[in-house]
Amino acid sequence: MTTAPKDPGAYGAMARTWLQQNLTGNLRTDRVHETPATLDELKAFEAAMHRAGLAGITWPKAYGGHGLTLREHLEANREIGLAPAPNAVNSIGKELAGPIIQAVGTEEQKLEYLPKILTMENVWCQGFSEPGAGSDLAALRTRADRTSDGWVVNGQKIWTSGASKSQRCLLLARTGVKEDRHKGLVLFAVPMDTPGIDTREIRSIEGHRHFCEVFFNDVVVDEANMLGAPDEGWSAATRVLSIERASNRMYRSWRFESELDHLITACRSDARTYAILQGYARDLAEVRIEIELLKGHVETLVEALLAGEEIGPSGSLPKLYWSEAHQKFARIAAEIVARFPTDAGQPLLDAKARMEAIYLASRAETIYAGTTEIQLDIIAKRILNLKKAA
Amino acid sequence: MFDDLDPKDFEETAREVMEACAATDDLAARASTLAEAGLLGVIAPEAVGGLGLPARFAVPILEAAGAGLLAFPLIEAMLLSEALAHAHPEMASALVSGETIATIAWLGTEADGIVAGAPRGEGAEHLLVFRADGSAVLTETAGLSAQLSDQLDTDFASATLRLAGPLTGLELSPDAVATLKDNAQILRAAFIAGSTASCLKQACDLAQDRVQFGRLLSSYQALRHRLARDLLALETMRMGVTRALSNPGEAAPMARRAAWLGAARMGPACAESAIQVFGGMGFTWEVPLHRHLRQMRTLAIQGQAAASVSALAETLISGSSNQWYEEVPDVV
Repeated sequence: MTTAPKDPGAYGAMARTWLQQNLTGNLRTDRVHETPATLDELKAFEAAMHRAGLAGITWPKAYGGHGLTLREHLEANREIGLAPAPNAVNSIGKELAGPIIQAVGTEEQKLEYLPKILTMENVWCQGFSEPGAGSDLAALRTRADRTSDGWVVNGQKIWTSGASKSQRCLLLARTGVKEDRHKGLVLFAVPMDTPGIDTREIRSIEGHRHFCEVFFNDVVVDEANMLGAPDEGWSAATRVLSIERASNRMYRSWRFESELDHLITACRSDARTYAILQGYARDLAEVRIEIELLKGHVETLVEALLAGEEIGPSGSLPKLYWSEAHQKFARIAAEIVARFPTDAGQPLLDAKARMEAIYLASRAETIYAGTTEIQLDIIAKRILNLKKAA
Repeated sequence: MFDDLDPKDFEETAREVMEACAATDDLAARASTLAEAGLLGVIAPEAVGGLGLPARFAVPILEAAGAGLLAFPLIEAMLLSEALAHAHPEMASALVSGETIATIAWLGTEADGIVAGAPRGEGAEHLLVFRADGSAVLTETAGLSAQLSDQLDTDFASATLRLAGPLTGLELSPDAVATLKDNAQILRAAFIAGSTASCLKQACDLAQDRVQFGRLLSSYQALRHRLARDLLALETMRMGVTRALSNPGEAAPMARRAAWLGAARMGPACAESAIQVFGGMGFTWEVPLHRHLRQMRTLAIQGQAAASVSALAETLISGSSNQWYEEVPDVV
């Protein structure tokens, strides 16, 4: 890793300037657009973010990254969060597959996969959950059998975000029987255009068709696409996952702050909505406190990672905290915008559309990446070490 | 600087000192015990006998004090010895050495003729009283009539004091008072974190000991999840304090405010939760959870947490400085 810039905040200032110049038009999420940004436009923006140094910040230069530290990553993410920027199309590639490949991949795999994640040539999806293995991931049944041609995969995945638009799938499959639970699991980087893969979109409550079911029927996967040896890949991946659960979308608390800023600013554009806002001022102050405390979770984590500490089960703390804090904000925001007058002006209509979308999308936040109940179980069992029997 | 020292180094000493303080009824003896261990002057400058350490070194001491239900104006001693160190070094030295005990009347001003919320106000020799112009005066308590402020406050024994006319004594400027109040937020939050940690530990210990319906309480998911949420609250408080002390630049005032207001809200809620886990026993005087609840509520009152949330609400809706939304017209 190279050393940090001498002037603290310089990296963030660079990111802010770049965003002010490049986050324009229909890329902005704080306005209703007649022509929403297309997938290609979003991918182009994300690739440009990488070239400007706003993505792949901590990845080694040899693999297309910028070779900096989590400190610069945090600085840039503060600015990304404060801006009304779209969520990354390739967050699975950048925040899940990429770090796992860096941890367990061969040198050839790193050179093959990693740069294309950052240039957006390869968008990745995550093939972990199954109809019978959601929160209970170890119950997964998708099988991988070794043959003379490599591996043959059969099974079904679900909740695979963005699968229909992805080039690669980070696939978790089983080499043994279901009863083996955490043993005999193997990780693959599967090209999504491999014959035998069938993708079906699922409409989610916001009306989007982002989620998918993915069916694998006698899909042949080359040995070269296996990440780590069976078992080994998964155990390394779980370590990466515990970090990712805690640190992905590091911009989150600043994004929540930005959403709150937007709501308040919009309400101040009309005396009638300002009067409504006043009635919620104390509730919003509580939300603002929670957003600030969430920054404490994030920054503590960054310091711990920089100090080389293990994250382990404590990654459940920020996940639980941010998901519930955001839902609380979203519920209040939805109630406020529902009271906007029928002849509301454009700034209010923009805010209303955004807050309604946030409200619906936030319902998923206490479900994905380990439900609230799973996080509470992890905290009780693995941090508090509470006994179940004497 | 201070690379050879870790705030954790103070944990063990602080715990032992709090136990020793709990074993005596004498306020002056507690002052000596705290002073001998160097705990009163941990953040005061070396020139007045302090250790001159950064505020993060006060955190484990305050956590131990909160957990140990310390009946002494420790927060006030730390704040006053730092605030008085330059202008009035003799008084600061006397506070650091435990020779004299001072407290602060957190509620009311000199002009009111009556001030309140002064921890151990009946036993302290000196009392800082705020003035309406933002300054403050450290006066002697001799001759002032003191009575306990509040039923909800056993260990701090906060006092209400009737003032007899204009006060004389050592003066603190409005700037010094503002700094003192600002620093108080973090010290109180750390104190509350310690109190919360003790409540959570007591609840976890009981849940892993008590059997109902043939099973340990800690085997029931409803209680496991309750305790997990309380741990989340505790760790959130601690991270808030750590962040507020690590100087996040222009974000510092909000970081301090959030650390304090978060602790003031979450701490008492964790004590309430522990009382619930204890069931009927939790409602008894004998189980000390109510003392933690009282202690934390008293700190929230002294720090005027409820009013501060209202003030934050006012500031919040008065507009945002986020440049991304500056094109939206502001008509209010």
